[in-house]
Order: sequence, then C-alpha cells, then structure tokens
Amino acid sequence: MMELFLKILVAVPTTLLVTLASFALGAVIALPLVAARRSRFMLVRGVGKAIIDVLRGVPPIVFIFVIFFGIGADLIRWEPLPAAILGLGLISAGHLSEIYRGGLMSVHAGQYEASAALGLTGTATFAQVIGPQAFRVAIPGMVTWLISLLKDSSIVSTIGVVEIMFVANQSARSSADGLMPFVIAGAVYIALGTPLAVLSRWLEKKLSFGRSA
Amino acid sequence: MNDRSNQPETVLHVGDVRKVYGNHVALDGVSLDVARGEVVAIIGPSGSGKSTLLRSINQLEVPDSGTLRVLGENIDFSSRVSASQLLGLRRKVGMVFQSFNLFPHMSVLRNVSFPQERVLGRSRAEADSVSRDLLERVGLAAKADSYPQKCSGGQQQRVAIARALALEPEIMLFDEPTSALDPELGLEVLAVMRQLANAGMTMIVVTHEIHFAAEVADRLIVMADGRILESGVPQQVLESPQTERTKKFLSAITDR
Repeated sequence: MMELFLKILVAVPTTLLVTLASFALGAVIALPLVAARRSRFMLVRGVGKAIIDVLRGVPPIVFIFVIFFGIGADLIRWEPLPAAILGLGLISAGHLSEIYRGGLMSVHAGQYEASAALGLTGTATFAQVIGPQAFRVAIPGMVTWLISLLKDSSIVSTIGVVEIMFVANQSARSSADGLMPFVIAGAVYIALGTPLAVLSRWLEKKLSFGRSA
Repeated sequence: MNDRSNQPETVLHVGDVRKVYGNHVALDGVSLDVARGEVVAIIGPSGSGKSTLLRSINQLEVPDSGTLRVLGENIDFSSRVSASQLLGLRRKVGMVFQSFNLFPHMSVLRNVSFPQERVLGRSRAEADSVSRDLLERVGLAAKADSYPQKCSGGQQQRVAIARALALEPEIMLFDEPTSALDPELGLEVLAVMRQLANAGMTMIVVTHEIHFAAEVADRLIVMADGRILESGVPQQVLESPQTERTKKFLSAITDR
C-alpha cells in the first residue's frame, strides 16, 4: 500500500511537467490565434476560426496518437514526452484562445475610446488598459482549463509517458491490488487540483479592483 | 501671439464635414470655427449628429469628407490620416465621455498619472504631483487611492476631467458629461466645468443641460438631422429661435 503510493508519487513530477508545459505552450500559441480570430481581415479570421475549431474538435487521444504515431513515425522520431506536451499544448491553445477572446469581449468599448482620446498608442492601450482587464475575466476559465488539463494529461499514458496514470495502470496489472492503484491516483489528482482552485479564487480576489463581486 | 485685436485666434476649424452610415446621414456638411477660450454648447435631439460632430474632432469617428484644423494640425478626411497626425491631434484635444470610461483596474491617482507618463513622458513622481494638484482642483484629493468603483458617478466624471486636463489639452470636448448622472451629482460636474470655462479653457460641450448652456456658453449651436440649424448667443437662440424645428426641440426640453 505504502509502496504503491510512493510509486505513484514518483510519477507526480511528470504529470506536473506535462500539465504545466502544455499549458504554457498553449497560453503562448493562443495569443496569435486570438489575434487572428479578431482580425479585421475576413480571410485571417476564417483561418483562425478553422484552426481553433480543429484544435478543440478533435478528441485529445486522437490528436496525441496522430502526433506521436503519425508524425512521429514518418517525419521525425521523438520521445513520448515532447509529443505529449506538443499535443496537449496545441489543444490548450485552441481552448485558451477562446477564453482570451471572452475576456477581451468583456472589456467595454469605452475603454478603447478613452485610450484613443488620451493619445495612448495601440501597444500601451493593449498592454496596460485592455490586457489587464481581459485577463481578470479570463482567469476562472484559464484555471478551469488548467485543472481539466491536469486530469486529462492522464491520456498521455497511452503513448508511454510514465506519469501518474501510467504507473497506476502498470501496478494494477502486475499485482493483486485491484482498484487500489486507481483510487490512490484519483486522490493524488484531487490533491494536486485543489490548490489550483484556491489559487484561482485568490487571484480573482486580488484583481477585483475594489469590486465586491 | 500678442494678439490684442477683437478677433481671437481660431483654434478649431471644421470644414464641410460629412459622414454617412449606410443610408443614414449623420453629418450633412457641417462647418464650425471655435476661437481660443470660447465655450460652445451643442444641443439637439438624439440622432442629430451632435455627438458624431464632437467625436470627429478627435477622430473617434472618421468623417467621409471635409477638413479639420486644430491649432495648425491640418487634416483632410478625403485622404488617409497618418498615425502621427492622429496622435498629434489627440494630444491637443481632451475628451470627457458620458460613461466616464475611467480605467477600472487603476486607482484614481493612476488613472490620472498613467496617461501623463505614457503620452507626455513624465516621470511617475512628476505625474503624481500634477495629478494630486488636479484632483485637489476637482475636489477629490481624498479619493486618490480609491478605485473608480468606490466613487460615485459624479466623482468618476470629475476624475475623468482631471485625467484629460493632466495632458494639458488646448481644447476640451464634453460628450453629454452629465447625462448618466443623477441631477445632484450632475451639479458637481457642472461646477467643475464652469470653473474650467472661467479659467479660459476652450470647450465644446454636447449637452441637454440647457441652463448650464445658457449661463456658461458663449455660443449655443442647435443641430438636427446632421446639420447646424442655429448658432448664436445662447439667450438669443433660446428666446427667438429662427426655425420651427428648433422651437419644437426647445419647448420639449424647457417646457417640462
């Protein structure tokens, strides 16, 4: 029992690495996607929308398989870990870009007008006026995505990344512990996810700018 | 410079400005000259084009044709306005909105200081000192560290005025500055505007506050259907309007 728990615990850093690295990758790739989605050129908007639809529409496991077995076998050889991070990162980009877009849409048009009337440049307007307000609105969605990514990172066990689910599965097959490995794995996921929810609420409160909500 | 003639310097010239949205003519060839220190009030029914005219002056709306001259900055709307021209223009013109549009994620002090740092390149200490003086002038020194949400509408609007003044504009535009406010809160905003007018600021005020317009404005302009119907000394326009349209509108806002 203790041994089983320790075995699973050893896999925690890999789960965290996959989760955080793909989230970070997605958070960056989501920026050009949301920019494309909000472009004033119809063609660019269309392309952005199509990419986002594909990234969000394909089941993660299919995506991961295509990247690892498809591209991995034919074009470049790579390890399961980078393939997993790239796959989940791209899926994250699709979701996060829509979360960003929601945040941007929540900013009142008057904020752009006031910035323009004051003579602020586009960069200053985005970096210091629009961005911070959009970010605050985007936080709950971003953290929700991070928590589901933490859980869904378990699918990368299917391509051989040795993370929590991989170890649990292996233990279950090679011993008589029955469901126990999965119960422990579940408990570990909850233990990892809860602080994130707390962090989200703290961040929201910190960025409430005197609003009571 | 040492102009001692009866003709004060024209700081704003709007020439034959047109703006069409779809099949609605918002501005149907409007021309306007404003002299330094002049206070011009614009009234008119909604959809008359008065806000569009005001917003054309700092290019929040881009008219289809016409010309604009703001203190030597010449703009012809038939050709594309360059980004540097736009910034040059906006540095000379301050604007106050109906909905205040303060930055909700910044304290009152930051709201007034941040644009100075970005637009005028002032240091934070310099900017803060200017901001505190201005907040004092609009009666809000005590609110410097509050967030806009913790201020009443009237207080927010006075902060917005301070924020615009901090950039040392030559002309101030007011787009229905009291329309979103309770009458009592509107009064404190009007008091600040009156003080500003007395200090010699050139002001263009789109408003429904007919008493304020009559008392403070040097000139009252009545607009309807994208055109200027009347323009003159407020008392004269209010007491002997020249057109039926003006009579009808004036009775609607005064006889209630």
